[in-house]
This record gives sequence, structure tokens and C-alpha cells, in this order.
Amino acid sequence: MSQLADKAKGDKLVGEVLAGSIRTASRLISRAEACDSSITPILKQLFCKAGDPVLLGITGPPGAGKSTLVNQLIQHYRKHDKCVAVLAVDPSSPFSGGAILGDRVRMNQHAADPGVFIRSMASRGQLGGLAKATGDALSILQAMNFDVIILETVGVGQSEVEIVRHASSVLVLQMPGAGDGVQSVKAGILEIGDIYAVNKSDLPGADKLVTSLREMLQLSSKMHPWLPPVVAIQANTGAGIDRLVQHIGEHRDSIRSGGEVHASRARERVRYRVVEICRQLLNESVFSGAGVTDTQLSAIANHQQDPYTLAEKLVGVL
Amino acid sequence: MSDLSSPADRASPTIRCLLGMLGTDVHNKGIRTLAQMLRDHGIEIIYLGEHNTCEGMTQAIIAEDADLVGLSYSSSNYLDYTRQLIDTMREQGVGDVPVMLGGLIHPEDSDALRQMGVSGIFGPGSKIEDILDFIHRAVGRADEPAR
Ligand SMILES: Nc1nc2c(ncn2[C@@H]2O[C@H](COP(=O)(O)OP(=O)(O)OP(=O)(O)O)[C@@H](O)[C@H]2O)c(=O)[nH]1
Ligand SMILES: [Mg+2]
Repeated sequence: MSQLADKAKGDKLVGEVLAGSIRTASRLISRAEACDSSITPILKQLFCKAGDPVLLGITGPPGAGKSTLVNQLIQHYRKHDKCVAVLAVDPSSPFSGGAILGDRVRMNQHAADPGVFIRSMASRGQLGGLAKATGDALSILQAMNFDVIILETVGVGQSEVEIVRHASSVLVLQMPGAGDGVQSVKAGILEIGDIYAVNKSDLPGADKLVTSLREMLQLSSKMHPWLPPVVAIQANTGAGIDRLVQHIGEHRDSIRSGGEVHASRARERVRYRVVEICRQLLNESVFSGAGVTDTQLSAIANHQQDPYTLAEKLVGVL
Repeated sequence: MSDLSSPADRASPTIRCLLGMLGTDVHNKGIRTLAQMLRDHGIEIIYLGEHNTCEGMTQAIIAEDADLVGLSYSSSNYLDYTRQLIDTMREQGVGDVPVMLGGLIHPEDSDALRQMGVSGIFGPGSKIEDILDFIHRAVGRADEPAR
């Protein structure tokens, strides 16, 4: 197809996304998941049309109640007439590449609501709790006039740094009985959260967990204008959700009021995103043949050439 | 943190299959088993569980960009539900997404179901190979070997 026709087609898709077409957005997300680089011109345009939604990441161990909480948050925001998009990531099987994406079950009550867009994504080999196409999907959703975008990670529980690289507010969900304080410190979760919620507060040990999280956060809090609050909630009944939403709003206000800490975090996210895109471009050139020949690969396999030089050459090409 | 060697990058697009139950049907054992088997053959399952409405399921097909839909029934009103779902899908512009049924389907209903637009029917004792073969053909990727 001619370049001109391609551009017209791309412009049409951009227009549809900007007008709020869920179908077009979901098709584009599939193409991003399939690493279809022909959508890059579309993503470029959409990126520059981004609105200013709340961009909330939710992470926490498997079964902590993340999806149940997302369901409550959707309900809350819908009551206030806010449109909500959700990207819910579940793990791919490392053996078959298949996946069972089950987060949506917990949010079924919003299935037919046109003000809610829920998309399930498989991690597809990406480590760290998110999917490879998360960044692209966010570029699409941010151009769509959603008031709130929620990202649910895979239930990991340790070093879910990825979420910090995509979300502007990070909510860490914990539950009683999943380990003691030292484990939270080890897992690095005290460094990534802007807000902490202890779910299943109907279960024994919840109060103690709230108290110990507060203590540890106080100790570890740096010279930061924001001390992360800790809230006890019950995602299956909605108890505590109002207060949690209030904290989410306060964190957003804190971001909006400026300040170097938030600005530098935003720059850090961009830095990471650029590297992520570079990686994908390299991936394409290394694996789809154009950048690397079989002869080169064999020469390296036989130790006649070295991989460092080839890597330098490829990065130079970028 | 991306896994650079991920073979998924080069393979053809992963099949995304929506699985769920409509109405008041609650016997989800069959569909859970199917979900696991398909997962083990490289398919991404968007699991909707029980108690879905036709409208909700159709919106999920759109938002998830599903390649096909699988429904499981254990009660007898599947003709009505299936017709309603396919009607809603057509109204919403996703009538071309293949629909397959599983569970307790009476053989004498299969003509009626196919006429409605159901393209695969897998009663009790169906073989996973047959289901996989159907799925690959239905989504137009029959030339691919099942992984
Ligand atoms: N007792 C109790 N159970 C809850 C509460 N909130 C959620 N649950 C239950 O916890 C289980 C797991 O909930 P999910 O929302 O699926 O948890 P998740 O963190 O999304 O799980 P993954 O995505 O698999 O990591 C479900 O059975 C919920 O009903 C709560 O406040 N109290
Ligand atoms: Mg979940």
C-alpha cells in the first residue's frame, strides 16, 4: 500500500481513538501486543494528545484482592460520573505461552457499562508484573478522555519495580497472614508505594500489619513531601474505600502542585520508557533478520567474533 | 526487564479466546478444565466465569478484542441464550467472531444452533485435539501446528 494511503488509514484510527472508540482502541492494543511496528506513527500522534487522567498502579501478592479492589474503585468513580479504564495483567505460562486471564471476573458487574473499559493482558514473557505492551496501551488510553486509568499488576509480591515506571500513583496492597514486617522490607515494597492498603481487614492480624507498615514507612521515608498513608480496607464489602479514594486524590493533588520530587519521577518514567522502546527496536532488528545475519550469528557461536562488537554496532545503528 | 529472547515476538499473533457462562448456569467445572487445557496449548483465555449477560459478554468481546468465544452450558435453555448472544453480537458489530459451545448440548439441537451461527459444538467427551483444530481453523490460522 502507498505511504499516503497508510497515513490516511492511520489518521482515521487516531481520530476514532480520540473520539473514544473502544473497538479501535482494543484492536490497536492487540497490534501493540503482537509487536506490530506499523502502528508506531499512530502511537506517536496519540501520545501527544494525552489527557491528564489519574494513573493508578495497583500491585501486591497473589490473591491479595487487587481485582476485587479495582471493582470497588470502578464503582466509586462511576458514582461520581468518572470514566474508568483498567489494564489488568495476569501471568503467561512460561511453558506454553498461553494464559488464563481471570481478573475480569471480579469486575463483571461493570461489563456492560460504556463508561468503563477493561482490558486483560498476559505478561507474555515480561518480568516485573506488567505486560510488554503496557506502555503502548497507556499511550492509547491516555488519549481517550478517561478520568482514571488503573493498572493491575500480576500478583508478584517482590520487587515489582515495573509499576513505578508506568503509574504516577502506586498503591501497594497487602493482606494479613502473608508474612511479617521483615519480609516487606526485604521485598522492597516499602520503597515503591505512594499509598498502602491492608486488605481483608476482617481477618486477624490486619491491625498489627497496619501499625507495623506505618512504623516502617516512617523510618524509611526520605526527605519527601509525601508520607505514604496506610489504610485498612475490605475490598469485598467496600469498607474503607472512601478513605482510600481520598488518599488517591490527595496524592494526585500533591503531584499537580508540582515539586521537584514528582517532576524527577516523571522524568525517570520517560527515561525508562525510552529505553524500553529502544529495546523493542533492537529486538526487532536482531530477531526479524534485518539487523543480523545467520553468518554473523554462527561466527559468534564459534567464538570467531564476539557479541559485544555486534551489539555496539546495532546500538550505533539506532 | 523484558526478556529479549522471547520467541513470542516472532511467532504469529497469540489467539485470544473468551470463555464464560450465560444466565444462571453455575456448573463451571467443564469450562475451567477447558481453560487450563487451552492455556497449556498456548492460547490466552479471557475467563469470564458464570452469570454473564449477553450485553456484558458482547462488550467484553469488543474490549478484549477476542478472536473467538466459548460458552458452556449445563442447563437446558441454551438455545435461547445462544440466540440472544449472537443477536447482540451482530447488533454491536462483532457478529463475525466465531462462537463455540460446550457442555450438555443435545445432538438434536445442533442443526438449530448452527443455523443461528454457532460454528463449533463440543459435547461431553470431546477431544482436546478436535477443539484445538477447530479453534485454529475458526480464527483462520489453520496452517499453524498446535503448540
Ligand atoms: N476475607 C476477605 N476476602 C477478600 C477480601 N477482598 C477480596 N477477598 C477475596 O480474596 C480472593 C482473591 O481476590 P482477587 O481480587 O482475585 O485477588 P487478586 O489480588 O486480584 O489476585 P491475583 O490477580 O490472582 O493476584 C477472592 O476470593 C476475594 O473474594 C476481603 O476484604 N476480605
Ligand atoms: Mg487479580
